[in-house]
Amino acid sequence: MLKLSKKGDLIILITVLAAAVASCAVFFIPQKSGGTVVITQNDRIVYKNSVYVNKTVELGDNTVLIKDGKVKMQSAGCKNQICVRHKAISRKGESIICLPNKVIAEIR
Amino acid sequence: MARKITLYGIFAATALIFGYIESLFSLSFIAPGIKLGLANSLCLILIGFGDTKGAFCVNTVRILLSSLLFSSPFTLFFSLTAGIASTAACAGVSRLKGVSQVGMGVAGAAVHNTVQLCVAALIFGRSVWYYLPILLVSAVITGGAVGEISECIFKKIKTKVK
Repeated sequence: MLKLSKKGDLIILITVLAAAVASCAVFFIPQKSGGTVVITQNDRIVYKNSVYVNKTVELGDNTVLIKDGKVKMQSAGCKNQICVRHKAISRKGESIICLPNKVIAEIR
Repeated sequence: MARKITLYGIFAATALIFGYIESLFSLSFIAPGIKLGLANSLCLILIGFGDTKGAFCVNTVRILLSSLLFSSPFTLFFSLTAGIASTAACAGVSRLKGVSQVGMGVAGAAVHNTVQLCVAALIFGRSVWYYLPILLVSAVITGGAVGEISECIFKKIKTKVK
């Protein structure tokens, strides 16, 4: 194994290892948030605006709530309610889909 | 003067061979572009003799030749900037008390890897920084190993050269 015969070596070693641990912080930077909410119904865009504009979008059976940078399917008339149970989305690339009603709310 | 040229020539040639041996096996499963950096051991020996200028010369020549011979000239930019920075770091660290070539090796490897990551970030974008922790840890291991090797060689040739 390494002979750490000198004190200076040990200091350098520890410094670099500490830097390695500290640089793990890069894994905790959150992914890109913000962006544009695009709601489509039957493949037609019915709403497109910044995610930071608070709005309640009503589309017949579905109600999409955009509030404080988060998008949630507030209610829907579909049977499985998967879209309603979906966690609020806030980052680019995320989407909530109501398949029976063909409503897609996504953040681009 | 002639003695120095001969010495540097031998060191540069040996460094080239070390680089070639290294290129035969690949450690790329840890992170892309990761190397043992064995050729740096020669430069560490020169710094051990106190010959910083020689270390820079040998390293620069070695990097130029090895990237033209063994890999594409594209890697030249990566290696040259990283190599110069790491040689500078080794030289700087050697001034401190109580640092042997093992420490210089670790410092040099760490600086080399980080500078290479910076250059990679310019080309590939922000996501390369995820490699930093593992690169630093491997710098400790590879730099330590290279430093250890150069320490051994240094002790053997110390009396015979200067």
